[in-house]
Amino acid sequence: MFISINWIKDFVDLEGIDVKDLIYKFTMSTAEVEGIVEYGKDTKDVVVGRIVSVENVENYKKLHKLLVDIGNEKINCICGAPNVKEGINVAFAKDGSLVNGIKIKKTDIADHESNGMCLSEKELGISEDHSGIIILDDNIKLGTDIKEVIPIEDVVYEIDNKSLTNRPDLWGHYGIAREIAAITKRDLKPLQVEDLEKYNELKKLDINIEDKDECYRYSAITIDNVTKKVSSYKMKTRLTYCGLRPISLLVDMTNYIMLELGQPMHAFDKDFIKSINVKTLKDKEEFITLDDTKRSLDAGTLMIYNEKNPVAIAGVMGGQNTQITDNTTSLFLESANFNAVTVRKTASKLALRTDASSRYEKTLDPELTKLAVGRFVKVLKQEDSNIKVSSSFSDLYLNKYPNIIIEISREYINKKIGVEFTLDKIVDILTSLKFIVDVKENDLLVINVPTFRATKDISSKADIIEEISRIYGYDNIVPQTNLWKVEPVRKEEIRTLEYGTKKLLAEKFGLSEVHSYVWYDTKLNNELGINTHDNLKIVNGLNRLDSTLRYNMAPTMLYSVYKNIKNYDEFGVFEIGRVFEYTNKNENCKEHKVLGIALSSNFKSEETLLFEAKKMVENVAKIYKNIKLEYVENLHYNDNFIHPVNSFAIKYDNTILGYISLLNPKVRDKINPKSNIVIVELRIDLLADIKNVDVVFNEISRYQTVDFDFSIVVDSNVKYKDIENVIAKSNLSYLQKYTLIDVYENKLKLKDKKNVTIRFTIGSYENTLNKDQIDEERNKLIDTLKQNNMIINV
Amino acid sequence: MIDKISSIEKEVKEKIANAKTSVSIEEIRVEFLGKKGKIIDILKNLKSVEETKRKEVATLANKLRVDIENKIEDKKEEIKEKEYENKINNAKKIDLTLPTNLNIGSLHPITIVQKELEEIFESMGFTVEDGNEVETEYNNFEAVNVPKHHPARDMQDTFWLENGQLLKTQTSAAQNKIMKKYGAPLKAIFPGRCFRNEELDASHENTFFQMEGMMIDKDVSIANLIYFMKTLLSEIFKKEVEVRLRPGYFPFVEPGFELDIKCIYCDGKGCKVCKHGGWIELCPCGMIHPNVLKMGGIDPEKYSGFAFGLGLSRLAMMKYGINDLRILNSGDLRALKQMYIK
Repeated sequence: MFISINWIKDFVDLEGIDVKDLIYKFTMSTAEVEGIVEYGKDTKDVVVGRIVSVENVENYKKLHKLLVDIGNEKINCICGAPNVKEGINVAFAKDGSLVNGIKIKKTDIADHESNGMCLSEKELGISEDHSGIIILDDNIKLGTDIKEVIPIEDVVYEIDNKSLTNRPDLWGHYGIAREIAAITKRDLKPLQVEDLEKYNELKKLDINIEDKDECYRYSAITIDNVTKKVSSYKMKTRLTYCGLRPISLLVDMTNYIMLELGQPMHAFDKDFIKSINVKTLKDKEEFITLDDTKRSLDAGTLMIYNEKNPVAIAGVMGGQNTQITDNTTSLFLESANFNAVTVRKTASKLALRTDASSRYEKTLDPELTKLAVGRFVKVLKQEDSNIKVSSSFSDLYLNKYPNIIIEISREYINKKIGVEFTLDKIVDILTSLKFIVDVKENDLLVINVPTFRATKDISSKADIIEEISRIYGYDNIVPQTNLWKVEPVRKEEIRTLEYGTKKLLAEKFGLSEVHSYVWYDTKLNNELGINTHDNLKIVNGLNRLDSTLRYNMAPTMLYSVYKNIKNYDEFGVFEIGRVFEYTNKNENCKEHKVLGIALSSNFKSEETLLFEAKKMVENVAKIYKNIKLEYVENLHYNDNFIHPVNSFAIKYDNTILGYISLLNPKVRDKINPKSNIVIVELRIDLLADIKNVDVVFNEISRYQTVDFDFSIVVDSNVKYKDIENVIAKSNLSYLQKYTLIDVYENKLKLKDKKNVTIRFTIGSYENTLNKDQIDEERNKLIDTLKQNNMIINV
Repeated sequence: MIDKISSIEKEVKEKIANAKTSVSIEEIRVEFLGKKGKIIDILKNLKSVEETKRKEVATLANKLRVDIENKIEDKKEEIKEKEYENKINNAKKIDLTLPTNLNIGSLHPITIVQKELEEIFESMGFTVEDGNEVETEYNNFEAVNVPKHHPARDMQDTFWLENGQLLKTQTSAAQNKIMKKYGAPLKAIFPGRCFRNEELDASHENTFFQMEGMMIDKDVSIANLIYFMKTLLSEIFKKEVEVRLRPGYFPFVEPGFELDIKCIYCDGKGCKVCKHGGWIELCPCGMIHPNVLKMGGIDPEKYSGFAFGLGLSRLAMMKYGINDLRILNSGDLRALKQMYIK
């Protein structure tokens, strides 16, 4: 919202106050200022002149040669405006003057010397009107600086609308002036309004409110005999500077009062209005708004009706059928207060945010409607003295907000702010903001909240604290420490695990952490041949294609591999991210934390990569949980990028924690046929829940141990794990450990067999084993292995 | 025989003197002192020496044996020394300027910054909590004092989901749950990913990270908030920072502030970073709204507190001088690998 300092000066004397300093204080006490524009600064030496003669220019129908009297001299100029006339006063920019930064220079037009120009409103910057030159009052002294005639010199600052969301009272200049008066400790001048009581004898307008919860108050008045069509230059300038386009006197008037008081108003052509009814639409209906747009309105939309016909969308925009036209001389002025939520809903449904709706949705004070009518009549009379009020002030005030009283003690205030305020200081501040304060015993303040702050803004003690501290100035509050109780900090297991895993993968295994989006990239899925099934969807995403939330990590990891593969021969990426499980329609989804890893190499074999991935997962499990994982048939994950043969579920106890898999070659080839790629998904949240296995110290044997290597011949499909199971079954008394030495496969020599060499270490904690004991152990092992078709090649 | 001994002595001494390598000295040892060595041979065959000379020969031979043994040992030492000397002198000079492969990966800048902040907060006694990414409308909006159809909802473009849930627009979505979990007094931070339905450009992302904190206790004042934020931010930026509060509107706090710090790059003189204003808008904060406390099951008459939000993405950008927010989610290792581990 734009605030004109000139306009503020109507209500607060700013004499002696530096404007920039004032705006800074406003930022520090009220709301964020987004920018400051100094208007008129770059216009110099534009003066009032009178056209003393008009001559045609040969061969140029539209051009005229003018002689302009600017008081101390008469100047020739060539002018193309259609409205030039002998005897009119104009805004004249002579040779050497400055018009909004543009230097006016002597020039030749159509072979005639032109020593200046008559300005249009657009050229002067006070409106968009470029249809002709400005015509000024006859009685202004020639040579007067234009700045004394039209208030083009102004400082306008823009307030961030968001920071006014909770301040319905600040959506007009008078409210801002009230705030500035409090900040600068100056008086706020009362608003000049028409005394509406004097029209009480005139006829009452027929107003009915059918939906009583939707419309809090509807005030109206009719005015006849409007003779002027255009607004004064002052009004045009203010509207333009504040971002609104001047249109015609009556439209400008409603806008002007809205910008001044924050109360939206609507002017109907009186001829079309017989009786007003405020009610919601019963059925869907089409309606043409005054911007000439046909809009489909849903049943339930709050409308203003004239008799049986809708004439306006309440609080949003009027209808084309009853709008003010060039021929309008009588108006029906609406000044109403609608339910904020209703207006907001309608405006968002129609995607029609207007200056009116954005004010109504902030919950305006219904007291404003009457004030606004009084002010409208007052200002309109200044613009057009011929007008006649033709009805009484007609007012249906159904829902009054309750008076808000807040009791708060000085002690409470001081404790919550952390400043020792005197009672006087508190009362001063609150009074400057128009609160009515009554001081009771024990420094208890009984605060009556003014109506313009009482619709939703101020309702509790916390709000009073804010008012006092912001006007006092946050900068004036001295920082203070407090003796808070110190308690040991509980740290959730998963946080240690997460950071630990990240650090391990980055530092020990050289992987890079990436962040990806939590939805699938449909385009990339297609490009890489990745299938993902339906899952929870975003319904209003900007790019509707990418709306499915991920239920696994691998695809987003693969996107990253795809992106980097041209730059790196070998690399690995990982992320600990969320995946979303949405199985029951319309229920809340479940969220899981998953570690995703993708490894890619142009020279390592798939098997090597697979074992590197396994090593990473086992490092995490060993370091943070001291557990040993198992790898079983992957039955849980069947996405199409998973390798049908070489994919393995990671299991602990009875929980499947994830999987390690080669990338299905069909997808791999799309990414890069030369690369080997392995993917891992690990449920880090499930891992975090697993109980840590305690480390138990094993005494170191004082007696010698014996090592022996067994080369075990088994069928090639036998897993190492199978051999381990047999070793366990053999129940050796002195086995301390065993280690895999080698796996030898050779299709030619061994056919469908393989040699697995394992080194066994046996020893006792009580004595050194003798030969018999050692032989007994060896034989036990050999026998058990043999029973399970595992033959020892000694 | 005595002549023989002296000729052997002559021969062996000559050979020792000429020996050059460990191998040749060992050969000499075997030739003269080995099982069948020339000196040992004499000692073995003393019987064949005539009785009268036997003692003298034995003495001479033994003396020679000891003498040669010592000589050989000395020579061995000498040769070994020489050999080491040669080895060292002939060693290949290694080019240590050749590069190594560090094989260090990288942590995401957000992780690094988040960890740093968490450590600061932990040292100040804060619990670190984790929120969801998909949230209910209640937690994201209503529980933080933004009822349905409140204009404040416009401040955040929301990704709505088909089941009526949403992608959380702010870490504040966790406030309610955390208050209910711990009650008062409470000191907690909760970092997390947030989402806004916005078009991407250098300074707008639909996915970004925030960190929010809450501190609730008896008689927490605005003056306390200022003190705390000043201390915290000085710790974060590793230098004394100057802060100022401006009014800011956030529905879950009352009063609400925008906290600015005096530009740490130019000390407030005005530079590109602070857009020549001397101050950097850093974090929204404020005194927790009584309604929010109430909805979190905490009695606002007894307790008060403050909340603050830190833009982790923003801080990461400041730390590394990243000028395009999109880099953080790009997954592009050419950029991300520059940020290393710490």
